[in-house]
Amino acid sequence: MTTDTSNGTKIVLESNEGAKIQVDRIVAERSVLIKNLIDDLGEEAVLAEPIPIPNVNTQVLRKVIDWCTHHKNDAAQSADDDNDNRKKTTDIDEWDQKFMQVDQEMLFEIILAANYLDIKQLLDVGCKTVANMIKGKSPEEIRKTFNITNDFTPEEEEQIRRENEWAEDR
Amino acid sequence: MSNITPLRRAPTAGMGVGVGAGIPKSPAATAGQKYHQHSTSILKTLQATEMLDTKPVLPAEIIATILDYLPVPDLLRFARTSRRYREMVYDDTRWVARLKSMGVWDEAEARKRFEEAVQRRRREHSISSPTTPTGAIGRGQPIPAGTTQPPPPQKRESLLFDAGIEQERRQQELQQIQMQKQQISHLRDGFETMKVGGGGGAAQEPPRDVEGLLLVVKNARSVRGHARQEYGKIYGALAPFYFDLVRAKTHTDPLVFKVFRDPDRQAQMLANLRIFGKSDWADGAKARQEKLENMTGIFESAVLREFEQGYEFWDVEGRMRKYAHVLEVLNEGSSAAVELFIQKHPIFSDREVLANAMDCVNQAMADSITLEPSRRFFEVLTRKVNEQAGIIGRIFPRPERVFWAFVDKVREEIIVEYTTPLFDETHERSIPSYLRAVSGIFEQTMLFLRTLTPPKGGEVDQEAKAKELALKIFEPHVDLYLQDEIDTFTAQAESEVGEWEKKLSEQEASAESFYMGSFANRQADKKDFLTSFKKVVMMPVTVLPTSLGLPLGSPFASSKPATAVAANGGLQTPGRSESPVPAATPSAGDRSSSPLPGKAPTDELAAKAALMTSRLEGIKSLFSIEVALSLVHGAKASLGRVAVFIQLGGQVGGEAREMCESIFVTLLRILGNGHVKPGFDKAVTHLSQYNPREVSEHDKGGVAPLVTFIELVNVGDLISQMIDVFYEQQLAQPKIADRNDFLDPAGMAKKKFEQMLDESVAAGLNKGIDVLMDEKAAPPKPTPTGAIDMDIGPSKTAQRIKDLVASHTSMLVGSTDKSMLDVFNGEVGLRLFTAICKHLKRQRVSTEGAIKLIADMNLYFEYIRTLKNKDLLAYFKALRELSQIYLIDAKHAKEMATVIADGDRFSGIFRAEEVYEYAERRADWYQVKREVERAMYGLECSVM
Repeated sequence: MTTDTSNGTKIVLESNEGAKIQVDRIVAERSVLIKNLIDDLGEEAVLAEPIPIPNVNTQVLRKVIDWCTHHKNDAAQSADDDNDNRKKTTDIDEWDQKFMQVDQEMLFEIILAANYLDIKQLLDVGCKTVANMIKGKSPEEIRKTFNITNDFTPEEEEQIRRENEWAEDR
Repeated sequence: MSNITPLRRAPTAGMGVGVGAGIPKSPAATAGQKYHQHSTSILKTLQATEMLDTKPVLPAEIIATILDYLPVPDLLRFARTSRRYREMVYDDTRWVARLKSMGVWDEAEARKRFEEAVQRRRREHSISSPTTPTGAIGRGQPIPAGTTQPPPPQKRESLLFDAGIEQERRQQELQQIQMQKQQISHLRDGFETMKVGGGGGAAQEPPRDVEGLLLVVKNARSVRGHARQEYGKIYGALAPFYFDLVRAKTHTDPLVFKVFRDPDRQAQMLANLRIFGKSDWADGAKARQEKLENMTGIFESAVLREFEQGYEFWDVEGRMRKYAHVLEVLNEGSSAAVELFIQKHPIFSDREVLANAMDCVNQAMADSITLEPSRRFFEVLTRKVNEQAGIIGRIFPRPERVFWAFVDKVREEIIVEYTTPLFDETHERSIPSYLRAVSGIFEQTMLFLRTLTPPKGGEVDQEAKAKELALKIFEPHVDLYLQDEIDTFTAQAESEVGEWEKKLSEQEASAESFYMGSFANRQADKKDFLTSFKKVVMMPVTVLPTSLGLPLGSPFASSKPATAVAANGGLQTPGRSESPVPAATPSAGDRSSSPLPGKAPTDELAAKAALMTSRLEGIKSLFSIEVALSLVHGAKASLGRVAVFIQLGGQVGGEAREMCESIFVTLLRILGNGHVKPGFDKAVTHLSQYNPREVSEHDKGGVAPLVTFIELVNVGDLISQMIDVFYEQQLAQPKIADRNDFLDPAGMAKKKFEQMLDESVAAGLNKGIDVLMDEKAAPPKPTPTGAIDMDIGPSKTAQRIKDLVASHTSMLVGSTDKSMLDVFNGEVGLRLFTAICKHLKRQRVSTEGAIKLIADMNLYFEYIRTLKNKDLLAYFKALRELSQIYLIDAKHAKEMATVIADGDRFSGIFRAEEVYEYAERRADWYQVKREVERAMYGLECSVM
């Protein structure tokens, strides 16, 4: 196990489209998946060949790397941080807000990539952004936005509304 | 979330982007056809198919995470989008988490309810056969409790609760909430209209169920499967106030302050909102909570101002009490009012309390100190503080905490201010009074802290608290104090011993020939002394076990010293209760006035000691029991002062304990090495220098240095017992030193001291025996050769030797312990035996003289028998037998030979060769030699 994090080391990532992107090791290690991979396989093996990221396309991968580069010096969140704590984390910062100003498809892709690469903070930012998109929308609007099929009868839907009337009209 | 590979699911299984979700083959999509007529147009389907390729879909876990970030209303709207999402939103854990964040979810209670429910259901099952569950609905999806559809009455296997009962109750509650809600919204509406219309009064009318609103958080229950409803109750009650407050621009705006007029209720509500805020973690929650905190802060400071005003008017029962309670409700750990109360308390500027510490020094004589002013100071303080305790009890909802905070402040502001200058001053003026001041004030402080009467109802341990506070006061002084204490003691003890030695050497110079010279006229004195002394010495031994348990305050004490000698006779009974044990009185009464050593019983011993020393005046002891006694006194005083600190426990207590032990060790070191040992050494030197042949006063009945030495042994023994009792009473009894811990420094020092004493005594005795034997051997024994002395009986010389030995050995009886005495006697006997043998070998004994010899031997034998030493007796028995060989007539040479060869006769003490040697000392040996030898050897030959 070579765990020394020499800054200069470069790592090559390969998207599912075959594009090779070179990044600093410290940037790549924002992804727990990649970090574990390097730890397990050893530096030499990783340096010799590009790491394939089969689930992520080039555009998304670049976007993710952008994020990682900007956040490369953040304190790494411990792997099993308490769920409650994460909920209470601060609101999305300005840079991240701008970063997330993409179309919905891209947003989802980023979330999926963050999930796959195990980048908790990015995943959180993505989820919060989606939550903000849902905020203030009526059920019908939500369905439209996220393409959800309504399988309730109008009576059933009304029932749910009544059941939770306490939360309405704040 | 672990690194799960997101699966590309069919769009309807998750959140799909774009219209293309509806693939014709997808079963879910066909399900959706009913509502969305997508698939009716083939064109649209085709379009969708084109778009299908790379549409990302979020997996369920991610959606669950997204839901976590949604505000509650949006979350519940989301539930209305589809069954799948309703399930996800309704998931009980989601709501339990919110309840938990407010601290109202009790897992134990939930489990209990659950188990009860299960049991009840089982019972019902066993009674009535269960109806077939129809349309079972999952746990996370309770029956909607809307009014339109009454809850189905049948029991459901899949439900964890008795659905019927639980459902009905739910329904009622829900209606209640709705009513409340309407009232609130109505109220707000009314308020708004009022604002617009500029009318008054309308908003003043509070909703009917205000009390319910106040208690909503407290009343929350933990029911599994119904966390959402429970949260709903709280949310319904508090959210309007919460969001209203967040939106409010000024501190007069919020609805909370309008609905509730009473500050008590306002505080309660604010506290509730604060709790509620913890369950709000949607975007912007931080800002909302900050706002809430600000509002609370404004409210709190307003209440505090009211409290302060009340304080200025000393309105204890009214405003102070009221607002103290309001603050407590608002913020449980709030200390603002407490701090204010303590900070501005008039006691800290009370002239009566703030006494001048210097009184203690000024009112006393020069270089001393009186603790009377400090006692008064603490008395006043106790009264005042206890008064305040009552007031605090009336003002504050949790008085005990406040009270101790108050006492802590008193400690800091008043006691420390009092003690520190006092200690500093005394330390500069004189160390002894410093030592007394520290220990005495400490005692008074502990008393003060213990006599405080804290308000009832708290669970603070007063004793522990008292110790903690006392520690805080004395911590800066203790180290210096302990060091000074032992230094002072050591210096005092050493100077005492040194002074005594100086005196001794001065006297020695003037009384060079003292030992020999004035010996004669002291005989009577000495005997008298020895008897009384022996009794005194014996006493601790007999008294010790009983006196330890007895309270030692003695009414006899005052009369005792005068009649000490007389009392010695009848000591059996009265002497019991008041042993002459030094320092035997750490009794309770005497503790309170601590630094003074217990007077009564030690006085008696002092008197006896003085008596003895006066008797000893002529004898000139080499170490003084008085010195020892005063050393022990000093140690006791120091020890008593230090020992009060032990009760503090912890590190300081441990240090104090160690210091006690080291005082004891120092005492033993100075007493032992500095005083007793040199005394013994000197005595031994005297003994070895003694030459009996130069002194011709044999008839005086004793060997002077030996007598002196034996008296020394007695004194040493007394000191040893004194130390023993001191150890028992001062160290072992109050558990300062552990008697069973053989590594304990005090115990070790004591053993070492005793050992040193034993060794000195042994060395002395050894020398003493040498001297004794020299003395005995010195006068040439009259040779009974030839001289016709028909007087049958022991010779005078033998008689005198016996007396000499007997008188010396008997001197030791009672003074030393039995085993030592046995050893001494054994040694004396053995030496006597050797001396006699040696003497015999130098003499010629005639048959007539033999009679005398036999008488002598009988005398010795009888004497030895009184010593009750079996081994020794054997020697003298053999000697007696041996003496008979001189009596045998020359004609019976053969029999003589038999006697000589008879080993059994001498029980192995003498071998035949030795007996033969003795036989050679016969006056007529050369006449009988041939015969005897023939009988011994020749006879045997002839037989052969």
